[in-house]
Amino acid sequence: MTRNDLDGATEGGGATEGGGGAVGQRWPRVAAEAKVRGTFRYTADEPAGRCCFVGVHRSDRPHARIRAVRTEPASQVQGVAAVVTGADLYAAFGDRLLSGPAFADQPALAVDRVRYVGEPVAAVLAWDLATARDAAAGIEVSYEDLPAVHDVDAAVAGPPYVHETLRPSAVFRDLAHLSGRSGTNVNYEYSLCCGDVTAAAAAAATTVSGEFWSPPTHHVPIELPCATAWPQDGRLELLSTTQTPSYVRQAIAQLLGLGLNQVQVRTRPLGGSFGSKMYDRLEPLVAALAWLLQRPVRMEATREEAFYLTTRHGVAVTGHMSADADGRICAAAADVRYDTGAYADIGPRIAAKSGMVACGPYRMDNAWVRSRCVYTNKPSAGPYRGFGVPQLTWAHESLIDELALARGEDPVAFRRRNLLREGDLSAMGTRMHSADFVGCLDAVAAAVGWGRPLPRTEAPWRCGRGVAVGVKAVLTPTIANAVLQLNQDATGTLLISTVEMGQGSDTIMAQIAAEVLCMQAGQVRVVAADTDVTPYDTITAASRSTYHTGNAVRLAAQRMRDRLVGLASARLGVPAVDCKLTSDGVLSGSTQRSVSLPDLIHDHFGALGTTLTTEANFTTDWVPYDAATGRSPQITEFWFAGAVAAELAVHTRTGRVRISHLAVAADVGRAINPALVEQQLVGAAIMGVGQSVFDQLVFGEGRLLNGTMLDYQLPSVRDVPQRITPIIIENPHRSGPFGAKGVGETAIIPAAAAIGNAVRDAVGVRCPTLPLTPERLLAAMKEDGP
Amino acid sequence: MSTTIEISLNGTPERIVVDDGELLLDTLRRRLGCTSVREGCGVGMCGACTVLVNGASTSSCLTLAVRADRAEITTAEGLPPDHPVVAAFVAAGALQCGYCIPGFVMMATELLASDPSPDREAITRHIAGNICRCGTYPEILNAIAAAASATSSG
Repeated sequence: MTRNDLDGATEGGGATEGGGGAVGQRWPRVAAEAKVRGTFRYTADEPAGRCCFVGVHRSDRPHARIRAVRTEPASQVQGVAAVVTGADLYAAFGDRLLSGPAFADQPALAVDRVRYVGEPVAAVLAWDLATARDAAAGIEVSYEDLPAVHDVDAAVAGPPYVHETLRPSAVFRDLAHLSGRSGTNVNYEYSLCCGDVTAAAAAAATTVSGEFWSPPTHHVPIELPCATAWPQDGRLELLSTTQTPSYVRQAIAQLLGLGLNQVQVRTRPLGGSFGSKMYDRLEPLVAALAWLLQRPVRMEATREEAFYLTTRHGVAVTGHMSADADGRICAAAADVRYDTGAYADIGPRIAAKSGMVACGPYRMDNAWVRSRCVYTNKPSAGPYRGFGVPQLTWAHESLIDELALARGEDPVAFRRRNLLREGDLSAMGTRMHSADFVGCLDAVAAAVGWGRPLPRTEAPWRCGRGVAVGVKAVLTPTIANAVLQLNQDATGTLLISTVEMGQGSDTIMAQIAAEVLCMQAGQVRVVAADTDVTPYDTITAASRSTYHTGNAVRLAAQRMRDRLVGLASARLGVPAVDCKLTSDGVLSGSTQRSVSLPDLIHDHFGALGTTLTTEANFTTDWVPYDAATGRSPQITEFWFAGAVAAELAVHTRTGRVRISHLAVAADVGRAINPALVEQQLVGAAIMGVGQSVFDQLVFGEGRLLNGTMLDYQLPSVRDVPQRITPIIIENPHRSGPFGAKGVGETAIIPAAAAIGNAVRDAVGVRCPTLPLTPERLLAAMKEDGP
Repeated sequence: MSTTIEISLNGTPERIVVDDGELLLDTLRRRLGCTSVREGCGVGMCGACTVLVNGASTSSCLTLAVRADRAEITTAEGLPPDHPVVAAFVAAGALQCGYCIPGFVMMATELLASDPSPDREAITRHIAGNICRCGTYPEILNAIAAAASATSSG
């Protein structure tokens, strides 16, 4: 269901209509050569002029009351311009200092209390970065320690409590009832109730159950966060590494008490993000400091600081799944606990919008989910590629494998019988469309030779294969806008607030506009998001841009085409229906006369260098879930559907896993650019390999123990499977731009589960805790062994 | 304490006063404007700051600028657009966000200077210390192999 400008544009509804020869082509990435040679300017490379650099003093306590902050050692250092504490900021901004996308609970600098090791307590501003950082280390804070809670289940039971009362933000009306609630660490609870799970499980022929854990992890984009703020003439200009410029403008305007047109948020394409550079990161602190001191202020996070800015949720799932005697899934249940750390960030939305798919993409009449978002004394967890779904998929795809094995059935055949098909009503209450789980599963199973004998391996290696299927709902409702300028020389300039960060949006959006306007590669340029220039867009995240912003771009381009046809019809003296836009201009079918776009626009305005402008909005709607059942007939605008198959060998003496083949399939609706889709599939799968076998943040009593790149392992070229096969499945979405949907997250969702299932196949042990480190696998094999 | 150093940066002589504790990364990036040289980790683990010092790959985040006195330094922007490695990376689509890619380009340039026809394993071994978080490794391997065959056949 969508609300958009479709009504105003002719031929607007045709999802596959176009004909310009751009969609489906492997256009090269925009700015490829500049990025390869390193001449491309990212955020930190933009000229900033003279700024005060920020050094941050951080808490070394997981939970404590701040007794006193001694700033003198820092303020007396030569070159230090100012030292600012949380109390200083609170005196200036009051409760506006507390921000967050779902809960207004996080101060830019701690006020009265610290809630995790690494929380910012005071900021030093100096004219050079080294001085700022050195002086910040000299600040002395006296604390009164409070009892801390580190484990998610201990936090559910509570006390201690991380926050005295809950403070939901005013943005989400369905959170309003939580305001002022105290005596709990559970900041949100979502429930799904479909049929009668208890009765169905009791009557089932086979039931399996398990307790699963996915640890907190980190995004680690190689570009470090950086933000610069310039106050001038009662306005604040901000240049920041953010994938949510529209959100940041709103948040900063609210913090400073300014109008939206008094805050400008500029961006450059990002050097990776994966969810780490969105909502409130460096921006509230940098903006507050710049506004308070009325000076340009710049903050560059170190790698160690970046680990504290946001993390991926550690998630515990307790679940069971049952089948009847005919091998049909009759019941599934999942009790989900998201560890959101000391500040809620977007965790409550993850608990609901991701928690609802915790039983998997299967037909079932009886399903039950309880999904809770829980505070602990750790760095805050927020969005991360997959938005909390990979952790749930780890659980349901392990369970369904065990259920198949308990029935003595092939895991692919068992899944195949039970997977949701086109038009099926899901347990969540919404029908399936453009989500070909069966096609994805069949494709990956065939790619790895499922059912054929395993490759011969020599002891102590043992070989196995596994599959997993994933489902995710796209964030709904959201809003996208596009403004298109057609320049007199027949080049296009596209104004959107989607942020290019490696997903290829600058290339994809240009292809969508070019398809409608019959243009070539390089003819449409996408402007970097700048809230003074580019229109509102909810977020560049959730794999939503190709569909939502892509639809706004398509509509704006269709309006441009209609305008050009109108102008040509008047000029050629033929009816508009006789005119067709081609790559050579507008052609009259009856007279075979044509007019080029440069001539047409030049004649219209009587000047060179002029621009024609069109715009469009694309907004999706949903039906809020029923309060009692958690179900909705329109929970989401579209579904992501994907599958992964793994073939691997486990070294039975060392516990090492060697992946020989990973096949990755996603139903993308329609691939606007197949090369970029394949890169998203392969890149997400490689990230998923890391999540499977080594990726984790390790905490001891709330202290991060591996928060440097010496200690935090990331996949290198050595960890890439010997073979990776990306497979594009296309079932066009009825309202996607040319049928397209998003793809950035689809492959990471089932990746770890497929690898875990292959390990189970190889050595016969089920390890419910990620990552599958050698130590963990050895211990499991020993336990299971003779 | 500070020292005057003389370097050849991408073929251009530079004379610059550096603090004795200054990192080559900061000299190149903040003072000489080489934006291809990037800090990703600060501990020599990601390779985003890789430059060639007298032809040898060097983590500029771990190297003092004074140690580069009288050295020839090459950064990715010093390679011409038609350089075989640059051209191969572009043709292979060997980038996503692009942030780490200049480091890989430097490693590839170093490798091909000493071994014009490396096999897959030699390429893998040579770039194993660089991280691409987007996971562009398959395309990067293909690009380096293509650059090698372009160089050796040309």
